[in-house]
Amino acid sequence: MPKCIINGKEAEFKPGENIIEVAKRVGIYIPYYCYHPALSIVAQCRMCAVEIEKMPKLQTACSTPATEGMIIKTTTERVKKNQRAIMEFLLLNHPLDCPICDKSGECDLQDFSFQYGDSFMRSSEERRTYVDLDIGGVIKKNMNRCIHCTRCLRFAEGVAEIHEMVAVKRGNNIEISTIDDRPLETDYAGNYADICPTGSLSIKDFRFKKRVWYLKKTPTVCEGCSRGCNMEVHEERGTVYRCVPRVNLEINKYWLCDEGRFNFKYVNSENRLTEPSIKSAQKFDFCDWSTAIEKSREFFQGKKTTVLVGSDLTQEEIKLILDFIPKQISVLSFFHYGTPGVLFSKDDGPADRILKMKSKTSNLYGIEKLGLTGFEKYSPQTGAFLVFRGGRASVPDLGGIPTVGIGVFQKTIIENFKIILPGTTFVEKDGTIFNFEGVEQKFKRAILPPGQSKNLSEIFMLWAHLGAARRAA
Amino acid sequence: MTETLFIQHFGKEEARKISYYVEKMEGYTALKKAISLSQDEIIGEVKKANLRGRGGAGFPAGIKWGFIPKQSSKPKYFVCNADESEPGTFKDRDLMRYTPHLVLEGIIIGGYAIGSNTGYIYIRGEYTREAGLLQAAIDEAYEKGYLGKNILGSPFSFDITVHRGAGAYICGEETGLLNSLEGKRGEPRVKPPFPAQAGAFGGPTIVNNVETIASIPFIIRRGGDWFAKLGKLEKSGGTRLFGVSGHVKKPGLYELGSGSVTIRELIYDYCGGILDDRKLKAVIPGGSSAPVLTADEIDVVLDIEPLMKVGSMLGSAGIIVVNETFCVVKLLARMIKFYAHESCGQCTPCREGCQWMENIIERIEHGGGEERDLNLLLDIADNINGKTLCALGDAAAGPVMSFVKKFRSDFEQHIRGKKCPNA
Repeated sequence: MPKCIINGKEAEFKPGENIIEVAKRVGIYIPYYCYHPALSIVAQCRMCAVEIEKMPKLQTACSTPATEGMIIKTTTERVKKNQRAIMEFLLLNHPLDCPICDKSGECDLQDFSFQYGDSFMRSSEERRTYVDLDIGGVIKKNMNRCIHCTRCLRFAEGVAEIHEMVAVKRGNNIEISTIDDRPLETDYAGNYADICPTGSLSIKDFRFKKRVWYLKKTPTVCEGCSRGCNMEVHEERGTVYRCVPRVNLEINKYWLCDEGRFNFKYVNSENRLTEPSIKSAQKFDFCDWSTAIEKSREFFQGKKTTVLVGSDLTQEEIKLILDFIPKQISVLSFFHYGTPGVLFSKDDGPADRILKMKSKTSNLYGIEKLGLTGFEKYSPQTGAFLVFRGGRASVPDLGGIPTVGIGVFQKTIIENFKIILPGTTFVEKDGTIFNFEGVEQKFKRAILPPGQSKNLSEIFMLWAHLGAARRAA
Repeated sequence: MTETLFIQHFGKEEARKISYYVEKMEGYTALKKAISLSQDEIIGEVKKANLRGRGGAGFPAGIKWGFIPKQSSKPKYFVCNADESEPGTFKDRDLMRYTPHLVLEGIIIGGYAIGSNTGYIYIRGEYTREAGLLQAAIDEAYEKGYLGKNILGSPFSFDITVHRGAGAYICGEETGLLNSLEGKRGEPRVKPPFPAQAGAFGGPTIVNNVETIASIPFIIRRGGDWFAKLGKLEKSGGTRLFGVSGHVKKPGLYELGSGSVTIRELIYDYCGGILDDRKLKAVIPGGSSAPVLTADEIDVVLDIEPLMKVGSMLGSAGIIVVNETFCVVKLLARMIKFYAHESCGQCTPCREGCQWMENIIERIEHGGGEERDLNLLLDIADNINGKTLCALGDAAAGPVMSFVKKFRSDFEQHIRGKKCPNA
């Protein structure tokens, strides 16, 4: 491998790699705004300018590929002066409204201002201001904070493959806008806020909800479709505030679709059943766990049962079900369910040109590995259904046959459900899933289950324990 | 006196006709000669001619042509940069207005030399009349078989399209021009890759100034050595059109051998001296981007290297002469307003810095300046200079630095007196 020297350190590189990436690998961070490893290179912000021996001018590290023997210096007085100058230029018109800005705490402009900028402001000119515009349901634009890095423009063109973000006007009056101020149309709008190095584009849903430094971050895997995008759950005291993408170059790169990003909303929803419930008339009455399990046992007595397992469950949960349930009730057969029209993995495929897959559950491929087949029709002998659901799978038509549900259900699910035993969502449990390419991914619990909700293993333990206690009595 | 190539035809309406060009100017004989030569022979001749780019950067045209790869999977393009927008510059306008066929012949030869079949003339939007004249000349050339398929019975085919700009200074920068030509925002591109590797529509492209291109037919017809000798300096061949404007008795275009006169000679011997016989205050020697010279600095030879030695540049050879009656602070304020207005806005130092400098200079001009503003101005200019994506930042920083350094007392008078002393 060819080598160059950065700040006296020898660094190996692949031909064509730019200086920013080569330096990163040997632990030298060069600050930048407009550069993003997944977007086209424009060298506009000039923050990453470094000194290269034998070149009279500073060179932007984003647009300069390393070459054999190149001697690069990133901390000389000239480099530092340029960084101070760029920070000063960028803050000339920035409102410095960090105390009310949601980006504060994870803002490149703020961080670099501390690290590379001056604490002193030399400008006494009036600041440039813009009128804020709403640009659709997901993103709020605050043009005053914008530093014109154009990452959003390049994301739209190059990744979301949609022509919706543009720069209008020129020079100092340049404004980032949607075409004719129309609302954003892409299903990937949340990423605009992620790549924005300032609080210029922010997620409406998260605005003014929580200062980011209070958030606890847990890596997880999105359960929105069979791609299994890597993301982080950000929560505080059991409330999930947002999900953000986590880099995985083999699966989702840097991105997340809006459907997956906002999928967590049901976790803390008021509409979620978090108490053991028994149906009476047209509503659910809450009860304690022993009553609910007692009633369930009674319910299944003498009935031949078809068991439906959601393909939004983890491998561990599915194995547990297959092992435990046949010992407790009379099972006709096991099926999996999840997405209408995607009964088997062969029905699955890309739903767009970016990330989304047709299967709207995350573990279709894992559940098939365990030998279950998709639910098409039930045997006429079926006297009852037992439905397991993780929170994402859509329950098929059960033909009016009485049903018990274990897992995550909404209060509005009335239909034929007689008893609900509340379970856990993907952020409340550990587990393993397989994505459409057969990649095995594990995720960790981020929050404790709300209310009386319990993990499947706990529910089964109660079931077994209460059964044993009754037999003893 | 040196032989002139262009200026004797300026002002003649009939000169723009193909009949005049063919009869009086040996029109299209260079093209005939060129297509009997190999590409390397033509490029070699242009290299020998020491033809330096006339747009401002002064890069040797022959060497630029030599950068074009012989083999290319994408089509090659030859682009004529007629976006003459540097304040103080008005030479290309007359070349297009009176000798359009000279420009066309140059483009066709250039296209042949680099193996291109497509030429563009990117002309600034304000030159509506010149765009029409070029189009008329193109139509004539097609009719006579100098353009189109199988030119003069050879296998070489070439087409020229006139593309009108929409009035942006930055589209005179070659990569900004190419973006605009492609229908994108007129913003300069990151270099490398240079246009010779990946230019218009991703293909290898040459972008040359109108005057550069208009010299080509002479070089082919009479040889590179002859052309080189028209210049008086070693590295600068041919003649140059100097556009003199401002406070001189006879402003206008002057064609002189490269490096054959000093600024003083041009102003006093050719232009008849300073208007109203006032004292000379300042000379901007190469379009408004060139750092200013004081009255004591004008004994410098008007060419690329000598001017570089004194910290200025020849640029587009548009010479702006200022006498003592005009306020240099006002002049700088007007110039920086132009650059702030014309900044494309993509890179930070130019977008933010030019506007900041404009605000400060305007304040000083109107009596609102502070003592610290002058050093601040110099520091801002230093933070822009050489640190931007294209040369526009340098073009704005150069004048600020030179004006403030050389005419500091004028600025101080404005600041201390809280108004313009001339007002």
